[in-house]
Amino acid sequence: MRALFRKEKMWQRHKLKPRYDVVVIGAGVHGLSIAYYLAKNHNITNVAVLDKVYLGGGNSGRNTAIIRANYMTVEGVHFYSESLKLYEELSKELNFNLLFSQIGHLSLAHTDSAVNGLWRRAEVNKALGVNSRVIWPDEIKRLVPALDTSDRPRYPVKAALYHAPGGVIRHDAVVWGYARGVERHGGEVHPRTEVITIDVKDHQVTGVRTDKGEVIRADCVVNATSGWCTTVSKMVGVDLPVVTHPLQACVTEPLKPFLDKVVVSANLHVYVYQTDRGELVMGSEIDPYSSYSQGSTLETLESIVAHALELFPGLRHVRVLRQWGGLCDMTPDYSPILGEVDGLKGFVLDVGWGTYGFKAGPVSGKRIAELIATKRTPDVIRPFRLSRFREDRLVSEKGAAAVSH
Amino acid sequence: MLNFEFNGRRMSAFEGDTIASALYASGVRIFSRSFKYHRPRGLLCVSGRCPNCLMSVDGVPNVKACTERVRAGMKVKSQNCWPSLEHDIFSVIDKIGRFLPVGFYYKTFINPPIEWSRVEWIIRRLTGLGDIEEEIASATGKGPKDGRSIHSSSFEHLNLQADVAVIGGGPSGIFAALEAGNAGARVVLVDDQPALGGHLRYSGETLSIDVATGEGAYSGLKSSAVASTLEKAVRDRPNMTVLDNSTAFGIYESNLIGIVRGNSVIRLRAEQLVFATGAHEFPSVFQNNDLPEVFLGRGIQRLVNLYGVIPGKRAVVVSNNDSGLGVARTLMDAGVKLEAYIDSRKAVGAPETLAEIEDAKVQTFLGWAVKEARGSKHVSSVVICEVDNEGELVHGTERVVSCDLVSLSTGFETEAWLLNQTGSRTIYDELLREFIPRELKPTVYVCGDLTGIHDLNIAIMQGKVAGLSAAVNLPAMERSSELKVEYQRKSLETYSRLVSQYEGKYREGMKRTRGPDVLVVEYPGSDKMRKRFVCVCEDVVAKDISLATFEGFDDIETLKRYSTVTMGPCQGKMCSMPSLHLCSRVTGRSIAQTGRTVSRPPYVPVAMGALAGAELHPVKLTGIHYKHIELGARIMDMGEWKRPHVYTSVEEEYKAVRESVGVIDVSTLGRLDVKGRDAGKLLDFVYTHIFSTLKVGKSRYGVICDDAGIVLDDGTVTRLSETHYFITTTTGNVEFVEEWLVWWATALRLDAYITNVTAGLGAVNVAGPKARDLLQKLTTVDLSSGAFPYMSSAEGEVAGVPCILLRIGFVGETGWEIHFPAEFGEYFWDTLLEAGKEFGVKPFGVETQRVLRLEKKHVIVGQDTDALSNPFEADMAWTVKFEKEDFVGKAALVAAEKKEPERMLVGFVMKDSMVAHDGDQVFSQDGSRHVGFVTSSKFSPKVGRCVGMALVTPEHYKEGSLIRVKSDDALNGAEVTLAPFYDPEGKRLRA
Repeated sequence: MRALFRKEKMWQRHKLKPRYDVVVIGAGVHGLSIAYYLAKNHNITNVAVLDKVYLGGGNSGRNTAIIRANYMTVEGVHFYSESLKLYEELSKELNFNLLFSQIGHLSLAHTDSAVNGLWRRAEVNKALGVNSRVIWPDEIKRLVPALDTSDRPRYPVKAALYHAPGGVIRHDAVVWGYARGVERHGGEVHPRTEVITIDVKDHQVTGVRTDKGEVIRADCVVNATSGWCTTVSKMVGVDLPVVTHPLQACVTEPLKPFLDKVVVSANLHVYVYQTDRGELVMGSEIDPYSSYSQGSTLETLESIVAHALELFPGLRHVRVLRQWGGLCDMTPDYSPILGEVDGLKGFVLDVGWGTYGFKAGPVSGKRIAELIATKRTPDVIRPFRLSRFREDRLVSEKGAAAVSH
Repeated sequence: MLNFEFNGRRMSAFEGDTIASALYASGVRIFSRSFKYHRPRGLLCVSGRCPNCLMSVDGVPNVKACTERVRAGMKVKSQNCWPSLEHDIFSVIDKIGRFLPVGFYYKTFINPPIEWSRVEWIIRRLTGLGDIEEEIASATGKGPKDGRSIHSSSFEHLNLQADVAVIGGGPSGIFAALEAGNAGARVVLVDDQPALGGHLRYSGETLSIDVATGEGAYSGLKSSAVASTLEKAVRDRPNMTVLDNSTAFGIYESNLIGIVRGNSVIRLRAEQLVFATGAHEFPSVFQNNDLPEVFLGRGIQRLVNLYGVIPGKRAVVVSNNDSGLGVARTLMDAGVKLEAYIDSRKAVGAPETLAEIEDAKVQTFLGWAVKEARGSKHVSSVVICEVDNEGELVHGTERVVSCDLVSLSTGFETEAWLLNQTGSRTIYDELLREFIPRELKPTVYVCGDLTGIHDLNIAIMQGKVAGLSAAVNLPAMERSSELKVEYQRKSLETYSRLVSQYEGKYREGMKRTRGPDVLVVEYPGSDKMRKRFVCVCEDVVAKDISLATFEGFDDIETLKRYSTVTMGPCQGKMCSMPSLHLCSRVTGRSIAQTGRTVSRPPYVPVAMGALAGAELHPVKLTGIHYKHIELGARIMDMGEWKRPHVYTSVEEEYKAVRESVGVIDVSTLGRLDVKGRDAGKLLDFVYTHIFSTLKVGKSRYGVICDDAGIVLDDGTVTRLSETHYFITTTTGNVEFVEEWLVWWATALRLDAYITNVTAGLGAVNVAGPKARDLLQKLTTVDLSSGAFPYMSSAEGEVAGVPCILLRIGFVGETGWEIHFPAEFGEYFWDTLLEAGKEFGVKPFGVETQRVLRLEKKHVIVGQDTDALSNPFEADMAWTVKFEKEDFVGKAALVAAEKKEPERMLVGFVMKDSMVAHDGDQVFSQDGSRHVGFVTSSKFSPKVGRCVGMALVTPEHYKEGSLIRVKSDDALNGAEVTLAPFYDPEGKRLRA
């Protein structure tokens, strides 16, 4: 209780130093967790996290904060379930309540082939120890009474993948918790500091330059950006197989609680849940065109809402309060790009996060930190190296990640 | 008189009353309980901008009572209180409020025993405002009403276009619209009120208008009369559309304006946008500034002049600008006793009005400000203080003025929300103390109060400039006569000159009367006992903002997210300016440096139903659909199509196909016509197989891959003539394949034209040993094996209907896929069944077809392949022809062919009676390794056990390899089979 009334700064405004051991570009959940685990697990504290906007101003503040581990591929399940476990302990670890609600996650199927897809995911999940099973309309109705499970809708609900440990978290709190952790362990967070160029000499990264003209030396630079991960990589001549698409979401006015599950429908391209504050958060699949616009469109809003109403016809008079967009870096196989780049020392990638980056913040931070500290690629992130595209060793999560946030 | 119900009580209202005006007139003062502390809240803005009057109306939550008209019989209920608005038990939270500082939840409930997972459910129940249980119960069929009757309200979308869209129907918007209309533009004027005129409707003043504006005739008239006259002038214009009661809620790319009007969303696309969105007031920050009967000044004017409601008996008017004088006059005219007029300025811009107030024996306090309001559920007095030049309260000058009504004219915020969505910027003007438009995007114009200037003469002229500029800059206008253009240019010059003259004078006046900034008054102990509200939606108090800023949330964007200020239902309309002032004060940065948060649509909350529009779900039916219904088929969804799942039983239907003859409606197959000199070339490039060498009258199976060599679609390609191919695609993929072919035909500049003929053609597959006998009865086309071998085609008449016949065999029997004009569907179907009676013909459904094709190991793309499958893994290497110069996916497939595949598609037979499920996981024989998964599986009548296909690691790609399928949590033995389970040599197919 005493902590509640102690007035303390969570972080400071620093002057940039001329040299760091590691510079991380991007102060979202990924960049901050890398810095946090570098300090905490490996005692590397001379680290600066830079961001061109405010803390968590990219996708960490724009995603819809759904956490789950019920992926489709073996590699994906291993990776995301490690992340889920880290999330479960993170509030205590950071001594900051991240409001993690493991309310359970339902992916609905409205067609026979979707039911088969869920079955396959459930079986992969079970085989790898993740709590996940296919349930049928009776049980779905019990879990989500507000959902229309009758045969009235155009595409009635046929089954659902129920993932009980899935849930939602206060996304901004994760950013702030990590940022405070970074600073407490001696690292530095620098919002509103844009990296303009990255210096390279003899195939070795030597530092970065910022928009304010500072030159910072560092032998290790991490690209932990989203939306602009390709442009940042271009600074060192690395081409990424990434196409950036907008993804939009919206939120309604607060309502008394009536929905305590995350409900996703890949067939209807929509997901819905109710926050602790009572608002409904709804989102959709990525927009079909590539763009760097973080704005939002009327067409997508209409489509999100129309699909949500197919699931929950009782919400027709509920009002949408706010809509927004984020940028998703899509890779060809819907899996991220993690680790070093062949032929360039000191440049580490933590990018290509599509629509699933937030879920992976803790595990990729922890493992990238381990990679930087030990110079060895941990097994759990090995399948996600950039070189997989050249070797044609893709890890396709299209089936589980395309719409199922 | 209209009667309605409020919390079970019968109320009456006049025609034209809003819920709020009727309730206030009946003595209701508390309209809601606040979000967090459950404090009593009364009317504040009376314009639909603040959250204080949200109520549930006929089961719909969060309706703004101050703008919702009373309808006879409506049921209105208060929200977020228990047991009643007057006595809310949860208001106890207000008393322990100091234990709930900003960021409370982030700092508590972290460790056992009170972890978050244990307390969360309690907190969930305390939050939220409106209740939609009734709506949900009704929609899901449990409510008191039947089915979806509650949804009798219909939602719809409308589309409109305009040369010039004017947003805001106040004086400047009206003159902009008139001027643009006079210049010949098609204008749509959007206004959120039931009548045009903006503040002229309720300010109650007698207008004084400069002759030079050209509108001097309105001088000396009552503002409301002028509003009506102007409205008539606008509505009488032929090229003008007036959307009243309509709120523009978002400006999207390419000047698309989202507008909500009742249950409709209107999408308005305009060449030019004129923003005349005005400005709204917001309350200053002092202790208990949220007490009921503390109003915004214009709210009081609305109550008095629009609804004839006298808001109180003894009023105090608090002001820092000239609009406060107008409110004082409104109150005096309405017979309310003015206890005091308090202005933080030492001089006012309208001394004659001040003199009138003084003449009426009202105490005036110039250079004073409010320190606190007192009262429990209603305001009973205010404490006022002198302010020094820095805006600090002077200690020891406190005076208590008793009253039952407080009016705040403590500042305007320009309504730049929509303007900002165009990408145009606003900057803080230190003199005007408002954010004013700057760096307007092309096609964007502004006028009126939105510019931070509150003066009718200026508004009129700004409106004219904006309207005329918008019209003159229309692309179409460039073609009009030179004389007209010259005249318009001259007018524009004159207008603009006048605007800058007026504006110069206005700014002089502002400098003369400028007082200290008292938006947030601070003094020692100001936060100790009583709350100073910044945000009434989320109950954020001044202390929360200062603390959050101190803690490190000193960026306006993070401050918003941490404190939740500006994130409530009002979206910052009441709290954006005060929170900005507080943040800038704590950080020592200027307001301009602090900046504002990004404004996102919608500007007002919009009902999901309105956004969704009418519920339109397309259903595709084949030309034979109703025959299937007649036959009693069970119908299933296949994408947008409806198809027969099964008619009688799979066993019976299976038997017919294998032993005599069956017919299936395959009209849902995608069909494309590809014509042109280069049609073959195009298909060679898009498919992995070769089609330019295909002989006329022959068919060939084809696979389409993407750049990565992943299988996207499959189907048959038939050459009907040298320059004409007929393609079938999978049911769900036809639009994609069409687009893909058009894309490549265009990219490669080929003479090839693609027509989607799916809707125009019906199709049936007639298959089985007796198929030939049946069909030969109906056609003169020679169907004998020699004349019409497997994988060939013909065009001819069947039962008198012109058809394309393809000899292909998805189900593994002698058979013809017959395509014909869809309108003959029912006739064709009936004729087939009639002719087949003697052979025991049976219609068969999708489920039977699934069994038949699986026995043949025919792959279904998307089921037996996934987003990683290339043709090699799918065991279809024979479809890839590397000898072609280039084709989509070639490079990737060349690479893929060279390396060991990661998995292979194999067939399997279960060892015991177990029937595996699609998606079951496959393990090695000893159960130790996970080696793949089942893509399809069914019970096979031929084999007598379950057969299936699975994607497994390559070591199992050999006949007889043993695997285990995990089904129902047991590992069941199965054996790999590479050949089809049925007729492996394909003899029956070719018979």
